[in-house]
Amino acid sequence: MEPGVLIQILVWGLYAGCIYILLAIGLNLIFGVMKVVNFAHGELLMLGAYATFWIYTLSGVNPYLIIALAMIILGIIGVFIERLCFRPIKGTGKLNEIFLSLGLIYLFQNLAALLWTTDSRSIHSPYSNVSVSVGSVRLPLDYIIIILFTIVFLIAFQLFMKRTTIGRAMRATSQNRDAAALMGINVERMDMLSFALGSALAAAAGSLWLISGQIVDPYMGSIPAIKAFAVVIIGGLGSIPGAIVAGLTLGIAENVVPLFMQSFAGLLGVSMSFTAWKDTIAFFILIIVLVIRPTGIFGEKGE
Amino acid sequence: MKMNKKYGILFAVLVVSVLLVFAASVGQSKEPGVEEIKIGIVAPLTGGASTTGTDMWQSAVLAAEQINAKGGVDVGGVYVPITLVKGDTETSRESGVKAVTKLITEDKVDLLIGGFSSGITYADQVVAAEHKVPFIITGASSPIVTRRTDIDTSYFFHHCPTTDDYPEATLLFVNEVVKPEIYERFNFSEDRPLRLGVLYQDSKYGEGVYEGIKKAIEKHNLNMEIVSAEKFKMSETDFRTVLTVIKESKPDVVYVAAFLNEQTLIVTQGRKDVGMNTIYLSVECNDDPDYYTGVGRWGEYSIQESRFSPYTIPSGPIHEAVEKFREDFKNRWGTSPSMMGASTYEGVYIAAEAIKNAGTLDKEKVRASLAELEMPQIVEVMQNGVINFSSDYRESKFALYMEQLIWNESVGETRPKIVWPDSIKETDFVLPDWYEPGSSPAATATATKATEECKTLWYFDEESLKCQQKEFCGMYMYKGLRTFETEEECKAALDKYLREKGEEKETPAPEEPGFEAFLTIASLLAIAYMVQRRRK
Repeated sequence: MEPGVLIQILVWGLYAGCIYILLAIGLNLIFGVMKVVNFAHGELLMLGAYATFWIYTLSGVNPYLIIALAMIILGIIGVFIERLCFRPIKGTGKLNEIFLSLGLIYLFQNLAALLWTTDSRSIHSPYSNVSVSVGSVRLPLDYIIIILFTIVFLIAFQLFMKRTTIGRAMRATSQNRDAAALMGINVERMDMLSFALGSALAAAAGSLWLISGQIVDPYMGSIPAIKAFAVVIIGGLGSIPGAIVAGLTLGIAENVVPLFMQSFAGLLGVSMSFTAWKDTIAFFILIIVLVIRPTGIFGEKGE
Repeated sequence: MKMNKKYGILFAVLVVSVLLVFAASVGQSKEPGVEEIKIGIVAPLTGGASTTGTDMWQSAVLAAEQINAKGGVDVGGVYVPITLVKGDTETSRESGVKAVTKLITEDKVDLLIGGFSSGITYADQVVAAEHKVPFIITGASSPIVTRRTDIDTSYFFHHCPTTDDYPEATLLFVNEVVKPEIYERFNFSEDRPLRLGVLYQDSKYGEGVYEGIKKAIEKHNLNMEIVSAEKFKMSETDFRTVLTVIKESKPDVVYVAAFLNEQTLIVTQGRKDVGMNTIYLSVECNDDPDYYTGVGRWGEYSIQESRFSPYTIPSGPIHEAVEKFREDFKNRWGTSPSMMGASTYEGVYIAAEAIKNAGTLDKEKVRASLAELEMPQIVEVMQNGVINFSSDYRESKFALYMEQLIWNESVGETRPKIVWPDSIKETDFVLPDWYEPGSSPAATATATKATEECKTLWYFDEESLKCQQKEFCGMYMYKGLRTFETEEECKAALDKYLREKGEEKETPAPEEPGFEAFLTIASLLAIAYMVQRRRK
């Protein structure tokens, strides 16, 4: 394989990894603070993408500028979900939480089908025709913006979590809920904030997904959500650095490994296509990590 | 005495019950279909393919209404109306089986029509075979649905081109028209095989097309070489890596076997992201208004195999019939029919004709009548102008045609033009300037030079609605960009564009669904929140 081709494929992997990271961090944040596994997180990505599509169609402004608005809308929806759905059943058993979030998947999918029909929707980025040359490789500007956006976002997120009072309070709640409550932290408010922030991050992922030229329909959330769960488990439940490392690893691996497998099969004289094995590879990595380190790369015991 | 009275009451209840059951069974044993012909429409009315499913249902309703308006179907001298029953497969195999089971056992339909997706039909046809119910399959393309040997397929009639038919027509066209154009421009030797890249869905449909490609090459001894054959999972959205691999194999043309959402992304990502400037060959299910909107300018000059197009009608005897069907459909439903709708519409007429010829609703006799059917083509061009089912696998044979997507300035989208066969073609095939062939370094160098040539042009786009001058190099395009040689041309086009846009604004466009519903839901959530707070 030529180096140029490999670089190009690595960039596709990085792009995919960025979407997974944004989605997985939100999922992790909600789990870390509330200890709730939200299976409907992919549907928040879908709603985020629809929010961007909707505002773009109505206003026609640069879709990158709409991301912030989509994040706010989904943040508010996140607050409602937490207050109306998860808070009332908190402490009544994990099974209730699981079934509630599974129910939310169908609710949001049907809601989106009602609002926007089941037709696929897409938007065209104003930079869709612009490419940047990196050596012999031409990379579309949108992917570079998405990668940079994710980096900036992760830095801002880390600063928020480490330097601000609310961020510290959220971390404290995540580490020991009872101790945090005894120290005067309003843990219920932290639940609400973590759900809002997690939903906003899913909206960012959905918006970037749409702007990069992907399509949105009511059922699009399930596959990215499954990948995000894999990222969370590989990285370690509740671990933000783990989600970053696992997201990038998964994004790159599922793009590059099939090609290596194909080359290897070629060396053995077998002509076989492995490009449909992307998901298999993602879950193979998941199994390996769980066998070697059941708590995930950065996970702690007891999570 | 008391005991006797008790037993008497019990005996009376028993007698009444037996009489009631007897009366009910007498009612049920009445010959079904005397008052109506019950046809089950098997279609994905909900789920991922609900748009297609709804279209199939609406087309069937239109056909049934047209037949009923003329008094119904002549069944042994008595005119009987058609009643359609919905069988929603929910775009899944499990629900497909449930829907067909319900149609047969509860609704007691006389016949089934529809069956979108080979995978779903493969699962649900088992139930129809078991109950020996005739099934006119109008939406599954895999030939296996009438060729499998694990069930009795003699009740299945395939009125839809198969995955063997698509590649055969497409590759014959490529061999006759596209290949000579490429070879002439790049001075390729006739001996050089045409390099074919294949990207197909990892499903019965995709694999069927891939097998069909291999069969067509062998059957017609075509000088073509498959340089890459890659597959992807159904509903995949990221094709960049697989397209990069295909590009590396240096194909002259790329044959894609995908569904609409996938096809849109494959062509867009292939041209925009990966820079694979080739001719993309598409399967007929993508000849749909949503595809033209979604793919935008990136789809320009790609090839679409078809049998019923939303934007063009082949000249010839069925031209008027197609126009009437479209008009009737639009008057009834307010939209345009799709390809799957057209074949389902025909399916109802086929069923009516077969029942009429059989003179009864007896399923075995209707099956025999379908096997011997011979009726004129309706809204799709058939081989020899006749609808009949082959004696071996009960497949009807369509006359497929090829379209090329040409940019239409007035609508800001591409539109298909028939380029093959010669008997019905609207225009000649165009090999675009930006086209890059596969191997042969010399030829590639020439092509690269051609695409990197710079030209100063006048332009405007949706972002800046004024005529400006700029140097365009290589392939430079995006949705809304229009380029012109002279300033006058640019200004005239801009004036026209602004006028049309103004008119568009004046005409109330169909509203994007959402705003009111969104506000309603938000209000409900807010009320629920307030109620909950108050309760606390």
